[in-house]
Amino acid sequence: MNVELLNVGLPHYLILSAILFSLGLAGVLLRRNMIVMLMSIELMLNAVNVTFVAFSRYNHNVDGQVMVLFVMAIAAAEASVGLAIAVTLFKKFKELNISFFEHLRG
Amino acid sequence: MVELVLFYSLAIMVVLAAVGVVMASNPLLSALHLVLTMLGVAGLFFLLHAPFVGAVQILVYAGAVMVLFVLVIMLVDVNHLEVKFVGGKISALVKGLAVGIFSGLIAAMTMRSSIQIKEIAGDQSFSMIEISKVLFTKYVVAFELLGMLLLVIPIGVVALSRIRGGTHER
Repeated sequence: MNVELLNVGLPHYLILSAILFSLGLAGVLLRRNMIVMLMSIELMLNAVNVTFVAFSRYNHNVDGQVMVLFVMAIAAAEASVGLAIAVTLFKKFKELNISFFEHLRG
Repeated sequence: MVELVLFYSLAIMVVLAAVGVVMASNPLLSALHLVLTMLGVAGLFFLLHAPFVGAVQILVYAGAVMVLFVLVIMLVDVNHLEVKFVGGKISALVKGLAVGIFSGLIAAMTMRSSIQIKEIAGDQSFSMIEISKVLFTKYVVAFELLGMLLLVIPIGVVALSRIRGGTHER
């Protein structure tokens, strides 16, 4: 077996993060349910966090971990606003499928 | 060896759970898969010698944010949400292809460029003291702005949830 695969290093974490990010991107593009799209955005943010922490470890630089804290705070704020919009839309239209809103008409 | 086994088991768990988030037809199932993903990513943070970030990940993501998601799913009618993916087969194909090309590009770039960094520069993890020193000196402006954002966001959310239809009021 390839030795590269057995020595866990920076590329492993970066590729795992790429897979996670792509799955999140696929979720945003392919799903039509607003709440699941917000979850996929969280998935993408998490993939970026993995990259930050991996670089922080392999370059021994603390800045990456500080960035992760910022990303987490922003992600929590974004999720709360997005979910508030989802609840408001559901109260008004009884619908959360994105296709329903694509004409932006009341 | 231990790191190898831990990394691969966590990686497989995270990827499978992420696939579950995207594919599950019930939003509640998606949310539960997302909790699993968050816990797996927290495990990866511990594996990367970042215990503080891992703990915050569990507290903020697997705790607070996921409770928010599940609460909102409870507020809306789940049976109503069972429609799922994009309509057209061609648009789905094009989007899937775009995602595939994108991930291939990232993987190729990663293999080409970052393979040189193999050795870990220093083996000990950063303590909370070191993290907070950087946070309160180098990034203090960003930290204060973040505090202001976290003040504005709840006010905005409360205002948003009190809206009575806005321009569409009947």
